[in-house]
Amino acid sequence: MAEYSKPLPVIETWNAPYWQAAKRHEFVAQRCQACGYTHLPPGPVCTNCLSAAQDWVQLSGKGTIYSYGIYYQLWHPGFTADIPYNVALVQLAEGPQIISQVVDCKNEELDCGLKVEVVFEDATAEVTLPKFRLVRNNS
Amino acid sequence: MGLRDLRDQVCIVGVGDTPQGAVPHKTGDELAIDAARAALQDCGLKKDDIDGLFVQRSYGHQGDYLKVGLMLGLNPRVGGAIDGSGATGCYMLQHAALLLQAGMANYILLLYGTNQKTNRNRFGEALLEEHAPYGAFNPSLPFAFAFRRHMHLYGTTEEQLATVALNQRQHALLNPKAAQRTPLTLDDYMSARYVVWPLRMFDYCYITDGGHAFVLTTAERAKDLRKPPVYIRGMGRQEAFRAYETPDLVMQSFQQQAVAKMIFNMADVGVKDLQALYVQDAYSPAVFAALENYGFCPQGEAGRWIQGGRIALGGELPVNVNGGQLSETYMVGWQNTCDAVRQLRGEGGPRQIKDVELLMCTYTGGLREHAGALILQR
Ligand SMILES: [Zn+2]
Repeated sequence: MAEYSKPLPVIETWNAPYWQAAKRHEFVAQRCQACGYTHLPPGPVCTNCLSAAQDWVQLSGKGTIYSYGIYYQLWHPGFTADIPYNVALVQLAEGPQIISQVVDCKNEELDCGLKVEVVFEDATAEVTLPKFRLVRNNS
Repeated sequence: MGLRDLRDQVCIVGVGDTPQGAVPHKTGDELAIDAARAALQDCGLKKDDIDGLFVQRSYGHQGDYLKVGLMLGLNPRVGGAIDGSGATGCYMLQHAALLLQAGMANYILLLYGTNQKTNRNRFGEALLEEHAPYGAFNPSLPFAFAFRRHMHLYGTTEEQLATVALNQRQHALLNPKAAQRTPLTLDDYMSARYVVWPLRMFDYCYITDGGHAFVLTTAERAKDLRKPPVYIRGMGRQEAFRAYETPDLVMQSFQQQAVAKMIFNMADVGVKDLQALYVQDAYSPAVFAALENYGFCPQGEAGRWIQGGRIALGGELPVNVNGGQLSETYMVGWQNTCDAVRQLRGEGGPRQIKDVELLMCTYTGGLREHAGALILQR
């Protein structure tokens, strides 16, 4: 495997369970024990009610493309071979939005509102990135 | 005492700026200080009249409040730094107004200076660290999202968006201070490279060096100064930190509509009364968001609404008649508000908006967490 040259996530106290789950190919978010609110990105308390009692729950991995952009300009050498590459704002079925990428498709196939599902890209031995692919009718 | 009691009680009495574009022999702090001297000259105050100082941080560790205070040789009663990203200048004007009205200071100086062109600020950071693994660099991404979404929801076209850049370049051609002064056609725009599709090169602010400064005081004190005072008639502000939970964050509707409610209530005017608009246009879709969210046009209509010269000098609502950040200079909104003050004084030269008495300056910043606005009156 060629050396991975893109930026890696900075794993710290609050997001460690998120990245550990991704490594197991599980897509998770925090859910508040007090009010039931599901939220990302990871943090110390519920952003709805401030309770510190938070569980990690599996998400469906389903969502839609809220919007997206396609990078023609290179800002990081790790992405040289990817230009032009997409970055999408994905609306997850459970509520939060996340910034990720849609893989296994041409940029021209993308559209706002398309259904996507999570896939896992093993970037390094330690880090797996949740990304998304289009939900195709015949697959 | 409420916000409405602040209406017309505080004035911008001095503005100062430096050459814009490439100013290779000056640091950001030197440019801020050059602008400060120009602003003091503009209003006729002396350095030691100043008892309040705010400094906006800029690229390369410039704009540190304490360091700039030391260089100026000031002992201000009040001041500091404010972190509102691209809305910082707006927030500083608002804080200054509140402090002056409360009597904590008499004359407040606000400064911004940067040498980010000379020092090649590439704006290559991710919005948040967690976005970097996905290649989400540069602050334009939320604007690319917003415009793509606008196209999807309302059928808006790239040619319609081009009107923002073309309009502002037309204005810049009349502005000797503007860094971009070559004519721009629709063909030029459409054949330009994409940066983050659907945004092209001309949808991006033009990075420059330069400095800007404001001096503010109370309406009472303003009468004795050199230039006609420009009154802060209204101000509004809204933060939005629940970024991932606010589906319309990138469209800015929540935060800007909240600002609109506050500012129009304070100013006791409506959009129809405003004769010009300045938008902190780091990227051209910012103009769409401001027009729709402040109610100049219905949601989704900005692309069509701006056609036919409506936002040009001489049109129904001139927008960024200085050329804005796409064509004049990128000073995170400072230069727009500086131009607004000069317009209200009648110092607009060949770009003077006829009989202008009332206008608005809007700002946003960050991943769109920050929004603020000012209504200024002659
Ligand atoms: Zn909760």
